[in-house]
Amino acid sequence: MTALLKLRGISKRYGDAVAVQPLDLDIFAHDFVAILGPSGCGKTTLLRMIGGFVAPTSGTVEIDGRDVTRIGPEQRPTNTVFQGYGLFPHMTVRQNVGYGLRLQKKPKAEIADRVAEALRQSRLTEFADRSVTALSGGQQQRVALARALILRPKVLLLDEPLAALDLKLRHAMQDELRRLHQEFGGTFVFVTHDQGEALSLANRIAVMNAGRIEQEGDAETIYTAPATRFVATFIGEANLLPGERKAGQVKLEAGPSFADAGADEPVTTVVRPKAVRLLRAEEKADIEISGSLTEVVYLGDHIKCVVAVSDKQDVVVHLDVAVAPRPVVGEHVRLGWSIQQQRVVSA
Amino acid sequence: MNTRSNIIWGIIAFAFIVFLLSPIVLLVIFSFTSRSLTNFPIEGLSLRWWQEMVATRQFWPALANSLIIGVCVAVVSAVVGTLAAMGLAAMPKRRASIIMGLLTLPVMLPPLVLGVALLSFYVSIDLKLGLTTVILSHVLFAQPFVILIVHARMISFDPRVVESARDLGATPLQAFFTVTLPIIQPVVIGAALVAAALSIDDFIITFFTIGTGNTLPTLVWGMIRTGLTPAVNAIGTLILLLTIGSTIIALQLTRYRG
Ligand SMILES: Nc1ncnc2c1ncn2[C@@H]1O[C@H](COP(=O)(O)OP(=O)(O)OP(=O)(O)O)[C@@H](O)[C@H]1O
Ligand SMILES: [Mg+2]
Repeated sequence: MTALLKLRGISKRYGDAVAVQPLDLDIFAHDFVAILGPSGCGKTTLLRMIGGFVAPTSGTVEIDGRDVTRIGPEQRPTNTVFQGYGLFPHMTVRQNVGYGLRLQKKPKAEIADRVAEALRQSRLTEFADRSVTALSGGQQQRVALARALILRPKVLLLDEPLAALDLKLRHAMQDELRRLHQEFGGTFVFVTHDQGEALSLANRIAVMNAGRIEQEGDAETIYTAPATRFVATFIGEANLLPGERKAGQVKLEAGPSFADAGADEPVTTVVRPKAVRLLRAEEKADIEISGSLTEVVYLGDHIKCVVAVSDKQDVVVHLDVAVAPRPVVGEHVRLGWSIQQQRVVSA
Repeated sequence: MNTRSNIIWGIIAFAFIVFLLSPIVLLVIFSFTSRSLTNFPIEGLSLRWWQEMVATRQFWPALANSLIIGVCVAVVSAVVGTLAAMGLAAMPKRRASIIMGLLTLPVMLPPLVLGVALLSFYVSIDLKLGLTTVILSHVLFAQPFVILIVHARMISFDPRVVESARDLGATPLQAFFTVTLPIIQPVVIGAALVAAALSIDDFIITFFTIGTGNTLPTLVWGMIRTGLTPAVNAIGTLILLLTIGSTIIALQLTRYRG
């Protein structure tokens, strides 16, 4: 299967500042892809290069086998939902949604039908003849989506589509986006700095940092097998244990060592709080480490324990609320996890 | 104490306003006098001087010239000024303010200097004096106002609206005509009316650059030289109506924020 969207060596610099380092990315048809990263890492710039709003400094954009690097946004088979939506304030909801079809000079009747259908699907029918300036944030968001989707783009681009909404509405719109993606069957690429949003919506995630894609893969791989220290910390909670690899053997600063193939270098071992267990008296584990409990917090769905395993190293453990007996602060405990549940990455 | 000083300030302010407005009020009143002298008491009201004005041979060509010049200046400076303002709004702030400073230079110059300079310029390049030269000269000093007004609108203009249009299939030109222009249109029209008002009541620059014809202000000047009749007041009132009218409409329109 060949990719629908291919980025090759694409980069963008503004003067001396590099917003996006040369990078490659393949996006396949029907994927729902999240470009995830902290503020200022170049997500928007990358998305705008795909949409045709920013001319790349180097590299090419190929969509459906066609090189579109040098053509304007109006000729690309993409549509965009902008951060802040960019609705036309001098038009009604209906006119906004019909704008693209009117430009295509479709017959009046066809436009009317398709707009009515799009409004119905986005549950906007009752607002059809209102000015878009008289809509709530969530409604404006739906207009922006309907306006883009009515053109049936090969790739729909969304820049922080939910950032401006409050928490409750954000969850509702997440469901809406998921539904639209299923009904529409297209390819969605969205930018977000919210890892929860990326995990809940996307089937593939590209994690960006400082203009680079640090890892690209399905959501589960990104979470369970982070390729870099940055990915590990950016998605979910993680314990980072520094150490040194020599001759296929990793020695953690906090004590334990284990076999791990790879070059001799400083490394970081990543283990999720949920993967760490409190070991009973005779219980064994691949990696064992001990320390004293400094904090036990009940968080409703789990208990968070912080264990000081050395002067400068804490390990966070998430325990099931049903654990008995409940550990207490000050107690000396043994922690353990299996080799499969940890990742060793370059420090 | 406080109330007394308030009253005093009130009186001073009132006196000031009376001083500022009374010439204008007198101008309008005297244009309706029935006598041939512009002084009190006014014995009766009549349209005699308005009829006189209409009957003056040079009045109609002057009115036509004023209107032609005003409309042309409004249209030309609206088009050129809007394009300039859009270009400036797309530039980095520092560069934009330097260029804006250069463009507004004609407004800072004393009109007399500008008028003389333009006259010698037209003569030196052998351009025949007439309506064209007046229009060019008026555009020169009216344009900065258009640029400033439209630019103020453009910097608060959401660029994503234009990007959305492009994204939905509009060429740059289509995006301009279907999105940018309709949104900024009231401000552009307002700016054009300001330009028209500036043009219609200009005397000095017109005087230097028109050659032989007349506009309403130069006609008034010519009539005053031969003797002050209330017909001059009628023309003055007419100019007042034209400029105030377009300014009021302009204010209404530019205040509009879509
Ligand atoms: N037009 C521009 N001129 C100069 N620098 C720019 C421009 N646009 C973006 N940058 C810089 O490029 C970098 C990446 O910007 P970008 O908008 O892509 O970040 P982002 O990941 O979308 O951030 P955020 O989450 O805050 O929106 C930033 O350091 C930004 O300052
Ligand atoms: Mg951004």
